[in-house]
Amino acid sequence: MVIISSIKNPKTISLLFRYFRNVRYSTNVSSFSTKSITPSVLLPNCCRNFPRYDPLVNYSLKNIVRSSSYCCNLRNCAKTHEIQASRTYKSTMPPTFLQKSPQEIVERCISENKVFIFSKSFCPFCFKVKAIFRSERIGFDALELDLIENGAEIQEALFAKSGQKTVPNVYINGEHVGGSDKVQELHSKGELITLLNPKTHSYDYDYIVIGGGSGGLASSKEAARLGAKVAVCDFVKPTPIGTTWGLGGTCVNVGCIPKKLMHQAAILGHDLKDSREFGWSTPEKPEHNWNTMVEGIQNHIGSLNWGYRVALRDKKIDYLNAFATFVDEHTIKTVDKKGKEKTLTSNNFLIAVGGRPRYPDIPGAKEFGITSDDIFSLPYSPGKTLLVGASYISLECAGFLHGLGYDVTVMVRSILLRGFDRQMSEKIGEIMEQMGVKFLRETIPTSVERIEEGQPGKLKVTAKTRSGGQVVDEYNTVVFAIGRDPFISELGLENIGVQLAKSGKIVVDKREVSSVSNVYAVGDVIDGGLELTPVAIQAGKLLARRLYGNGKELMDYVNVPTTVFTAIEYGCCGLSEEAAVEKFGEANIDVYHSNFWPLEFTVAHRPENDCYAKLVVLRKEGEEFVIGFHYLGPNAGEVTQGFSIALKLNATKSDFDNLVGIHPTCAEVFTTLTITKRSGKDVASQGC
Amino acid sequence: MVNKFTVEGFESFIEKAEALKSTGKPTYVLFSGSKDPATGKSWCPDCVVADPVINNVLDKLESEDVNFLYVSVGPRTFWKDQSNPFRTDLRTKLKSVPTLFKYGSSKRLEERQCSNPNLVEMLFED
Repeated sequence: MVIISSIKNPKTISLLFRYFRNVRYSTNVSSFSTKSITPSVLLPNCCRNFPRYDPLVNYSLKNIVRSSSYCCNLRNCAKTHEIQASRTYKSTMPPTFLQKSPQEIVERCISENKVFIFSKSFCPFCFKVKAIFRSERIGFDALELDLIENGAEIQEALFAKSGQKTVPNVYINGEHVGGSDKVQELHSKGELITLLNPKTHSYDYDYIVIGGGSGGLASSKEAARLGAKVAVCDFVKPTPIGTTWGLGGTCVNVGCIPKKLMHQAAILGHDLKDSREFGWSTPEKPEHNWNTMVEGIQNHIGSLNWGYRVALRDKKIDYLNAFATFVDEHTIKTVDKKGKEKTLTSNNFLIAVGGRPRYPDIPGAKEFGITSDDIFSLPYSPGKTLLVGASYISLECAGFLHGLGYDVTVMVRSILLRGFDRQMSEKIGEIMEQMGVKFLRETIPTSVERIEEGQPGKLKVTAKTRSGGQVVDEYNTVVFAIGRDPFISELGLENIGVQLAKSGKIVVDKREVSSVSNVYAVGDVIDGGLELTPVAIQAGKLLARRLYGNGKELMDYVNVPTTVFTAIEYGCCGLSEEAAVEKFGEANIDVYHSNFWPLEFTVAHRPENDCYAKLVVLRKEGEEFVIGFHYLGPNAGEVTQGFSIALKLNATKSDFDNLVGIHPTCAEVFTTLTITKRSGKDVASQGC
Repeated sequence: MVNKFTVEGFESFIEKAEALKSTGKPTYVLFSGSKDPATGKSWCPDCVVADPVINNVLDKLESEDVNFLYVSVGPRTFWKDQSNPFRTDLRTKLKSVPTLFKYGSSKRLEERQCSNPNLVEMLFED
């Protein structure tokens, strides 16, 4: 047992937590004497700050404490904090608060918090009640009466007010609910949520979500679960060539899902080649049937579209396959495909309409070109294909089309994969080029003409190079992947004055509120966000919990892992090398790196140095914090997803070194990185 | 007008379903555990619950020109055999009874979903 009586700096406490995380935690909290710890330090600070350890802050406390029972408590708080269920009361109150009269404390706890639990830290019934709120992901605030000096007086005051002597004593919306039995009873009847969101307006809905993509659906379902009356409007405007799709948004219909499946089709082709080296008598040139693949993928998507509709109906969310336009800040007009109009009102709105691919302003682009909105359901084999753009969408399409055996060219204006790590991006380009994908660098198209009808037809593409030259070639299919624009021009945002950024996207604050206080936005339409499905889902869910579940947690846009499913996959989390150097200065950054040769590649005689791993570390106070994770190789998504938790927890390079690898895997390379770029040593793979 | 048909077993199902498909009308198929001749009740309790719900929705549909095919998948022992054709054939790929689907589409309801009138109505809506 250790006494910490003078540590008031919250950052210190998070450091202590960090220091102890390798220690086995004692679970014996009973030996823990609360009196020896200043209560104002005990709960609020740890809750408020865990686990955000900031590597930039000066810490020099390593040797202060040598036991862990205090941290045991910290850890419990941390868990609590993490699921955003509980903050201790004082975390939002000045420290002098507990010096007020017991009556005033009780009154303010009740009136200033939507859900409040007077509790005792050792009381099993209190645990039970908190567990119920947690399981419903309803936020609550609690005061642990046994951990403060005037707890007994407060309990007396509470008895006088509520007629209830025991804890837990729960208040919702200022009304006395009762103790553990009462909460359990309400919970089992499903009435807890009704208490939480009493009807306060006369609009048709509590929450109308515009856009039935990942973010919108996730938010609508979470809001409905928390008792809100919800409607979802989703309407897909057909592409210039007439492609349209069902409920679920870009990811499901024309993004992640079909992309990954086509990528898988390409991987299978590659594996078939390898299989001969492993003894299989597969044909030397296996045939691929585009239509069979598209049919299989579209069937799967169809079942997902249906599944979403079932889920919405099941949760009593009204689904309108209609285009919504704002009339005023509480009213929208919807038009379905038959032209039928409806007017709906709602207290809150969520704009989650995502984006659509951009076309260049050149002759023939919209008439003859297609985009990622069309490629995944293309009813004919694309043939020789030109991809315009160097976005990840362009390179991913190039990767799977090449893998499926098509002649593929990528036309790039400037750099590959803007925004991603430069070295990794260029490496992807090199490897794809070695594989046989053609790149036209520093070139932009100027016109597309049709020279032959057909499926596919034949198109003539004229382009100009930066040096002024002209490139003319013929292709069967031209795919534009030069970027995406938010799909909001027809939403009537001007009618309610939603502020847009220069990018054309919606300006929101960290609570995802737009400039109109009851209009929120998540996903690809928000300025400065990340265009990733899981980000939109998380943001949408957290928003719904804040609106209807007394949640407090904000979306954390830092250290979001992602993967580009190019022919060679690239997974990353945290900062690129350039961004790290820019932010912290070259002197403070080291880069550990290595090529590696996956075991599967050896027998198959695949290239030895295609795969590559690097960790960008920040040197600070004798530690090396891993702030960038980059992996180029097979199964990048799986590898990166796992390691990203390490970055979330502020892992150091020595944590990676202490980790035992799984042999033989690709991911194990991260446990054995010893060479820094600074050392200049060769990292080429030497084989096993 | 709902045209109702009843068949038993996989072969008869495929034969009938293909014939109905060729009529060009939407064809809905309900797979149920076979009824015990003695009691007239299916061995599958979820099917027993779903039956009246689906029939109710069908009754309201009178004006629509659709086919409805009721398929008895067989006795419990046959159904529990994981290699029975209802489970393995790509055209059905059943995971459970009752399953209600629109033949030739991805739209299907399974188990308790079949006794939720809201969901059943939605299946017949389009």
